[in-house]
Amino acid sequence: MAETIRNIRAVAAKELRGYFVSPMAWTMMGLFAFLFGYFYLLYLNSFVEESLRSMGGQFGPQPVNVNMRLIRPLLSNASVIILFLLPMVTMRTYSEEKRSGTIELLLTSPLKDSEIVLGKFLGAIGLYAALIAVTLLYVGVLFLYGNPEPMPVVSGYIGLFLLGACFISMGLFISSTTKNQMVAGTATFVFALLFWIVGWASDMAWPWLGSILQYLSITQHFDDFGKGIIDTKHVVFYLSFITFWLFLTLKSVDSERWRG
Amino acid sequence: MIEVQHLTKRYGPVTAVDDVSFRVEKGEILGFLGPNGAGKTTTMRVITGYMPATDGTATVAGFNVFTHPIDAKKRTGYLPETPPLYPEMTVREYLTFVARIKLGQANKAERAARVDAAMRKTHVDDVAGKHCAKLSKGYRQRVGLAQAVLHDPEVLILDEPTAGLDPKQIMETRELIRGLAGSHTIILSTHILPEVEQTCQRVVIINKGRVVAVDTPKNLTHQLKGAATLYVQVEGDGTAADVLSGVPGVGQVREADRHGRYVGYEIESTHDIRRDVARAIVSKGWGLLELRPKRLGLEEVFLQLTEEAARETGAAPEAPAGPSATAPADDTEKGEREGHG
Repeated sequence: MAETIRNIRAVAAKELRGYFVSPMAWTMMGLFAFLFGYFYLLYLNSFVEESLRSMGGQFGPQPVNVNMRLIRPLLSNASVIILFLLPMVTMRTYSEEKRSGTIELLLTSPLKDSEIVLGKFLGAIGLYAALIAVTLLYVGVLFLYGNPEPMPVVSGYIGLFLLGACFISMGLFISSTTKNQMVAGTATFVFALLFWIVGWASDMAWPWLGSILQYLSITQHFDDFGKGIIDTKHVVFYLSFITFWLFLTLKSVDSERWRG
Repeated sequence: MIEVQHLTKRYGPVTAVDDVSFRVEKGEILGFLGPNGAGKTTTMRVITGYMPATDGTATVAGFNVFTHPIDAKKRTGYLPETPPLYPEMTVREYLTFVARIKLGQANKAERAARVDAAMRKTHVDDVAGKHCAKLSKGYRQRVGLAQAVLHDPEVLILDEPTAGLDPKQIMETRELIRGLAGSHTIILSTHILPEVEQTCQRVVIINKGRVVAVDTPKNLTHQLKGAATLYVQVEGDGTAADVLSGVPGVGQVREADRHGRYVGYEIESTHDIRRDVARAIVSKGWGLLELRPKRLGLEEVFLQLTEEAARETGAAPEAPAGPSATAPADDTEKGEREGHG
């Protein structure tokens, strides 16, 4: 067990290092901060306007809910940004090692396949955590000058984190099936988008199909987190989604060995 | 130390390795020789646990690589054909990462000591701080070697360790490998014959996925030579062949080359006939220009063996005849698989 953890940590640390010694992690963090900042400005502006307008209401000044009006839409926008960014994080995980041949080092070292998969997953999660940590600066400012409820913020971040982890696990699998980074990145984006919009077909002619598609939609499970609710059924959905793709990654690496 | 038994690997309909068996004793350097695409890399990848075999077993240091992969991998160092380097890491960072994944229990100080030792052993300490992406081909190869020996494995598997190096680097790498023998058991693949003659104690010749010969480089050349062959060059009237045939103990006489009055012959015999041959020629008043035992290089041995294997399976009926000294023991399903070779 101790050895397993040590091995996973070694692989994860190597992955994380790989992101941060290249310009990739920094560029991504910078652009993410920029986009998120722009959304922040837009929502803050409309929030301020609304607050001013509510001051002159006939019942006197009414507080506008900062959670509902500002933080929730912001996190929801952040989830759109990661839909675009995370495929670029995961596309290289396996593809690059296969292309350059370093996968031979990993697969002939005394590591279990599962340790490599988990290490790579956690490495990408580490970068993702750094990405969303950037947004905490913006949200921190709101706590400094306003009084948002902390609970919906915490649950919103948990939801965002799980959502990103879903994309990462799926991207990891897709990357493990190809040597070509571009193919991996594009396919990951398309599949992520598919799971994003699949719920839109919920009012289909066949209600049973509609409800299944609705259930599969990753965004549909995200909404409650933004409202401050941590519902077990959503957490279970995300965790099973992640486990499913990690398991497929493991199988893909294994079958690759057989095929050579 | 390494034992491979009836190893077969198929990729769909293609058989890359077909019923290969051999063993390597402790401290030995085994040369794995064959043309490109003969199945060398595939066999090595199976032994290192990179891929499973379709059939057969491989055992490293007493551990079956399929049933106890982790134990086997802890005792194996592998240098693939392209050294598996991470371009964005410095040599030291790279080897430190390798130490982390290969030396489970070791603490930080032990790992650093192993990294230093491996760098010294393979003479890469002078580039410790350089990024792997900026290394020359020779250094990349040596850092790859450092990676392979880092955990001091009992077994080293080196896939074409000198491929793409310049002559000086080739010499250095061979020297390095010879230095590693003794404390490690080594399998080394190559398609360059002199390399095997210079570095290996035993050779496995493989062609189209099958083992065509296993022996020492010396024995292989002897065995195939069959009877001893003598080369003589005579300056005379061109009738020396008859005279030579008359010398007692001489078997076949063949004209090898002719440049005007200078004619070269190859003489087969059962014992040393150099004195008799010399006397016979001189007594005729001809000039004896050259007289030397002809030794078959591995080059010829290799060609003979591979052509022989092809001829037996009907793929190359025109191939010249050669003594069948070391054909594989197991001839079942031969011919059947050559259809897609």
